[in-house]
Amino acid sequence: MKFTRYEDMDDTAKDMMREIGSIGTGNAATALSSLLKIGVEMTVPNVEILGFNEAVDLLGHPEDMVSGVLVEMTGDVSGVMLFLMKMDFINEVLGCVLQERIDGYEQMGEMEVSAATEVGNIIISSYILSLSKLADMEISLSVPAFSVNMLGGIMTVPMAEFGYVSDKLMMITGKCIIGGRNVDSNLLMLPDIQSLNYLMDRLVTPYE
Amino acid sequence: MKITRREGVLITYALGSCIGISLYDPAIKLAALLHIMLPEAGNMSDMNVFKFADTGIQEMLRKMAAFGGVKRRYQCKIAGGAKMFDMKSAGGIGNIGERNIRSVEAIMRAEQIRILKKDVGLNYARTMLIDAEDGAVKIRTAGRSEIIL
Repeated sequence: MKFTRYEDMDDTAKDMMREIGSIGTGNAATALSSLLKIGVEMTVPNVEILGFNEAVDLLGHPEDMVSGVLVEMTGDVSGVMLFLMKMDFINEVLGCVLQERIDGYEQMGEMEVSAATEVGNIIISSYILSLSKLADMEISLSVPAFSVNMLGGIMTVPMAEFGYVSDKLMMITGKCIIGGRNVDSNLLMLPDIQSLNYLMDRLVTPYE
Repeated sequence: MKITRREGVLITYALGSCIGISLYDPAIKLAALLHIMLPEAGNMSDMNVFKFADTGIQEMLRKMAAFGGVKRRYQCKIAGGAKMFDMKSAGGIGNIGERNIRSVEAIMRAEQIRILKKDVGLNYARTMLIDAEDGAVKIRTAGRSEIIL
């Protein structure tokens, strides 16, 4: 079965994407935990197929300030990975890594940006590494880019990236729980349609 | 796209690489605000026309004319087209904002509508508002004071 739109995905396809996400987030949590030396869990991911406005609404208000780490995937699977962090998540990380707290994004200096970018990078890389091992795929990741801005503005990046093929986004989302505290963060995996089909072929068809 | 006459404020939130295009006909206090995401539609006929600069502006002009707008009176202002992430890779992912700006400017030139004011580029998101009362356009950004275009 070939998909031409995200909306065409059936329950099997969504279940598979959720399963992929869950393997990814599990590994990402382990990696983050060993970096921060504190217990990290991640929620079971959700698979959402949403229009632009709905996608933003799910994550907050379009004018909410968030920071995000963006990595582009190329190779067998292409698309983008986006890790969104709010202030409480950043403070949790800074507390563990630099033993400090800040009151707002504007107080982030070079060290803080670097720490936050690295955490996003580790989460994304371990997620993708586990995925590529699982299905024996080659996925290359770009250098991570960091940005602090309005949520709506940040979300236009993946939306524009897929704008020519889809009015919708498929997001595989997972939240972090650090040291038992539910801190506001979201890991989004946004594969393009071709990659979705590739993943389906690779992981579902052999078992049918 | 939104349109209103005489009263009301139109708003589009958090334009990142997207562009907000406002057109105002002061004679009849007709205001329209369009939010486009990509430079051109190509052959994407089955999609939302407002997503693309070319098809979106065409549709906007058609709607404005239907409401009694006269093209030579239009005041055009644009905002957005930021580069949200500074990607090191060679792909097009980082510079869509720049392409959007160029496309909107070219289309407006072809339509012979002068862009009176603009607040575009750089690396931050903008919220754009237009007041139908007087055609004033406000740009709201995080951590900077509001500007009036």
